[in-house]
Amino acid sequence: MMDNRAIRAVEAVGETRVEEAPVRKIIHVDMDAFYASVEQRDNPELRGKPVAVGGSAARGVVAAASYEARVFGVRSALPSVTARRLCPDLVFVKPRFEVYRSVSNQIHEIFAEHTDLIEPLSLDEAYLDVTVNKKNIAVATEIAKVIRARIKEATGLNASAGISYCKFLAKIASDLNKPNGQAVITPRSGADFVASLPIKKFHGIGPATAAKMQRLGIETGADLRERPLTFLQQNFGKAGNWYYRIARGIDERAVQPDRQRKSIGAEDTFSADIFDLALARQELVPLADKVWRHSETKQLRGRTVTLKVKYADFQQITRSRTLPDCVGGANDLTDLAGSMLAALFPVTKGIRLLGVTLSSLEGVEEEKTQQQLALF
Amino acid sequence: MRVVLERSNLLKSLNHVHRVVERRNTIPILSNVLLSAEGANLSLKATDLDLEVTETIPAMVERAGSTTVPAHLLYDIVRKLPDGSEVMLKLDEDGNAMTVMAGRSSFRLQCLPQSDFPQLSAGTFTHIFRIEAPAIKGLIDKTQFAISTEETRYYLNGIFLHTHGDEDLKLRAVATDGHRLARSETAAPSGSEGMPGIIVPRKTVSELQKLLDDPETTVTVELSDTKIRFTIGPVVLTSKLIDGTFPDYQRVIPTGNDRRLLIDRQSFASAVDRVSTISSERGRAVKLSITSGQVTLAVNNPDSGSATEELAADYDSDPIEIGFNARYLLDVAAQLSGGDARFMLADAGSPTLIHDASDEDTLYVLMPMRV
Repeated sequence: MMDNRAIRAVEAVGETRVEEAPVRKIIHVDMDAFYASVEQRDNPELRGKPVAVGGSAARGVVAAASYEARVFGVRSALPSVTARRLCPDLVFVKPRFEVYRSVSNQIHEIFAEHTDLIEPLSLDEAYLDVTVNKKNIAVATEIAKVIRARIKEATGLNASAGISYCKFLAKIASDLNKPNGQAVITPRSGADFVASLPIKKFHGIGPATAAKMQRLGIETGADLRERPLTFLQQNFGKAGNWYYRIARGIDERAVQPDRQRKSIGAEDTFSADIFDLALARQELVPLADKVWRHSETKQLRGRTVTLKVKYADFQQITRSRTLPDCVGGANDLTDLAGSMLAALFPVTKGIRLLGVTLSSLEGVEEEKTQQQLALF
Repeated sequence: MRVVLERSNLLKSLNHVHRVVERRNTIPILSNVLLSAEGANLSLKATDLDLEVTETIPAMVERAGSTTVPAHLLYDIVRKLPDGSEVMLKLDEDGNAMTVMAGRSSFRLQCLPQSDFPQLSAGTFTHIFRIEAPAIKGLIDKTQFAISTEETRYYLNGIFLHTHGDEDLKLRAVATDGHRLARSETAAPSGSEGMPGIIVPRKTVSELQKLLDDPETTVTVELSDTKIRFTIGPVVLTSKLIDGTFPDYQRVIPTGNDRRLLIDRQSFASAVDRVSTISSERGRAVKLSITSGQVTLAVNNPDSGSATEELAADYDSDPIEIGFNARYLLDVAAQLSGGDARFMLADAGSPTLIHDASDEDTLYVLMPMRV
């Protein structure tokens, strides 16, 4: 482990491949019940209680659940109504994204003490590549410990970590000793670990693919590894290559620090389906405002506006328009989304959800140097 | 229906009407042109539901009748027929197909019933006036470039046509995209007094413009607050108007700008074109540094480099630096026909007024860029 240009042996395939590639050291840091923990931290009355962050309204959805709530089966993405049924004492708290964002920035600064190769997945999750690190700590497990301790010290919150030689296994590992724990999957044990894993835990295998695999008799990583490459390619196309490699514990995806934000969006599901254009237009106002605020804080401007509409029967459509220049403000955003919305009316089925997204982003700085002033 | 006519007549007319037909249509009949033979004429009609064009041309009608056939297809066929040939259009007994015959060529086109062809109801026109083709063409030519293509502000997607003044009444055309504005006027024709201010859509404007090539023609204009009709010889163009309120454009036309710059239009346009070569990107700014007797144009592109050019000019106010979108400057320069362009400036953040030194009926307003 001390030598970065170590020899990697892939024993599980029964062959010994000798590669000159350095064994990477990747840490996946995942905050424990992030939003809920922040709320419990800031409001002592919530401590020890089942807490759900999210709207309690008719169609609200749980964004995060405290560990006390998870005992009852309450988890994120669960409709609030269902959550309430599972846990009648559940306390609903409105999300405070500004707070989560500032905590997330604090955590990011701690990561940056060790490496610049940070790939944030969301506010509460990130991959770090610490193969080479700023404090020259040789053992990644140590780095993970230091980071978790610093996070606790700086924010009062618990984080879990997974350490491995690739992103896929690091992410799996961070779940093993959660909450407030960490786990390592070494290159030597990687393939065996994968073999025991149920296939639905694999990165890139969602419910649909999992069901298909089960029909083909593939339940675990071991089953997957038994299938020849041609079989996987025939059944899953290009993804077959990925499954073949990942079943052998091979994931060479790099930690990408400069993953640029491609779009800024907001959407809302309504308590009652909307049939009326005027009402639907009204709903666009807070969405456009939210997107605009977000773009302001991120110092980004966009030229493409996309309207997303989900109907009562869950049919989903999008309409988008790209302008020659960046959208100038929240009102313009509302107008643009509104004109695309108007074109869909009259509707034969109610609108359940509306979303507004801004993309083709560019930094405000580039724009500001030369700005066309307006007559009107 | 059975009719014989000269290919050149049919082609000329199809050339006018087929442009109205959108290339892609969800309603099949809108792809078709309505042909009606009656008396000694064949009339052709096309529509996109907002704009309708009808043209009547002389023809030998052997049997009266009407049908509809795909407009672009018919246009392409007639275009390729030999010059000087006679064309026969013959509808089948059952009305399902029409044969186009010329010389040894024969085409059969599928028809849709003429009863399905939508009629744009014109309603009642409240005003009628006649105007010489060059006068109305001038209004269009000088303002059309500034029409907005931004659909959000749909009320800017056309030319605002209205009358202005008391004693000396003018017919005015104004177009703007929010960054620049063009205003042109001509003596108000009798009959236009009291007409409502109307917004004529971009497509209508550009179709009309193509029908105004003959300077001897007089155009009859009929309008209400929702529709407008132009009759130009055998062609009748009827269009819906844009239902919206044109902004109060007068307030953005500066009246107190006192820095006067007079510059040779041709050399200015060439210089702007030259220096803007360095800015590959759309909408880059050209910076004008104006000092006594001289203008320096400068473009700076962080990615590729920079360019400057000096021009002699007539200017004796305080020095000023001001930036403009290069394309907007070129657009305006292309509109001016006289020798000198006259700029009236205030400061780097306020609208600038541009005149053709030889045409006091037209003015342009350009909003600067911050550089």
